[in-house]
Amino acid sequence: METPNQTDAAAVADVTQELSAYLTRNLGQELGPDEDYFALGLVNSLFAMELVNFVEQRYGIEVGVDDLDLDHFRTLGRLRDFVLAKTANRGAAA
Amino acid sequence: MPPVTAIKAAACYQPDSVLPVAKLPGLADLDETERETCAALGVEEVRADDSLSAFDLAARAASRALAEAHLAADDLDALILIDARAPEALMTSAATRLQALLGADRALTFSVGGLGCVSLTPALLAARGLLAADGDLEHVLVAHGSKPPAPLRYRHPVTVSGDGGAAAVISRGGPVRVLDIVQETNGDHWDLFRVDYRDRPTAQWREECRDIPSYSFRLAVETRNRLRALHRRLLDRNHLAPRDISRYLSHNLSVGAFRFTEEALGIEIGTSCFDNLRQYGHLGPNDVLLNLRTELDRGGLEDGQYAVLLSASPVAAWSLLLVQIGETGDGAAAAHYL
Repeated sequence: METPNQTDAAAVADVTQELSAYLTRNLGQELGPDEDYFALGLVNSLFAMELVNFVEQRYGIEVGVDDLDLDHFRTLGRLRDFVLAKTANRGAAA
Repeated sequence: MPPVTAIKAAACYQPDSVLPVAKLPGLADLDETERETCAALGVEEVRADDSLSAFDLAARAASRALAEAHLAADDLDALILIDARAPEALMTSAATRLQALLGADRALTFSVGGLGCVSLTPALLAARGLLAADGDLEHVLVAHGSKPPAPLRYRHPVTVSGDGGAAAVISRGGPVRVLDIVQETNGDHWDLFRVDYRDRPTAQWREECRDIPSYSFRLAVETRNRLRALHRRLLDRNHLAPRDISRYLSHNLSVGAFRFTEEALGIEIGTSCFDNLRQYGHLGPNDVLLNLRTELDRGGLEDGQYAVLLSASPVAAWSLLLVQIGETGDGAAAAHYL
């Protein structure tokens, strides 16, 4: 039987893998968890919106104006943390 | 029910001289990323004439609009000039200069602006307000001359600007009824793009983005959210659904910007926008008038059909206009001359 910590670790790994695959597929290169794809000039407005659309639809969260801090989205690691925090909040609110 | 506001006539003026984007002045001074972005915008050429000022462009379009409306300048009750990006001189009034040039001596005259590419909307709001507030007013002329403020016509990473004028006669009746107008702004982005000009020769003026990641992310996603909300509000309060809209016409920034709007709203932007972008580039607040005029000239909109005109500006202003073709909306008065 899985412990809660094991479940959390699995969720983190799943989200990381999914986001990494999405970014690699759309940016044309594999990026490390702390590489800033905005600073690298890889993101235009259209992709920024598509990225937000993807996390909203895949994880059932809503990205509102209050969430639009670039620090949440600029690296794979930060995006993963943002998604996990939003999904946790959604669970707490349910 | 609010009184009818209609576009009685709309006219555009484009200079004859064509400037291919590949030959833009200053292109060679850009870095590789900037040049690649510029080449991918979907703009092939613009109209550019250094002998014509923004005022000249507005004046020529205004004269055409009056002629197409079969009005004399003396018939105008009001004249609203949308400010140029850069005034020719400080302290002067381009609006009253246009009044004098046209001979619109009776016209209540002033200028509006401050919202970049969205500045057509405050002009239409003012025209609608004048017509609603004063029963003696019949005809309001709105005009703008679009000319980029800086010699480098490329605004990284957004668009290439051309030269062009547009004008519209707004009246109580006409072939395109303006049914509704919605607009929002967010002052947090007031200086996201700027041209520093004090103590600099004009040759050194340049449109610069304060924070490109903010433009590409925060403003982009906020634009998605704002346009969705405005679109929903506009349609709901007019008891319409997206399927009721025959044509969506956007401002012309880039093919990427069209795709962005299409994805954000789940709509298709009219092909006239792509065509005008390709041959004229971005013309500021004039884009949607040009696109509407082109669509009507091509027969793309018939009496009774609805169109939505969308504008967004990097100063963080968003606007949607709902228009219906035909004097009464049911096709009863067919002959339009837009």
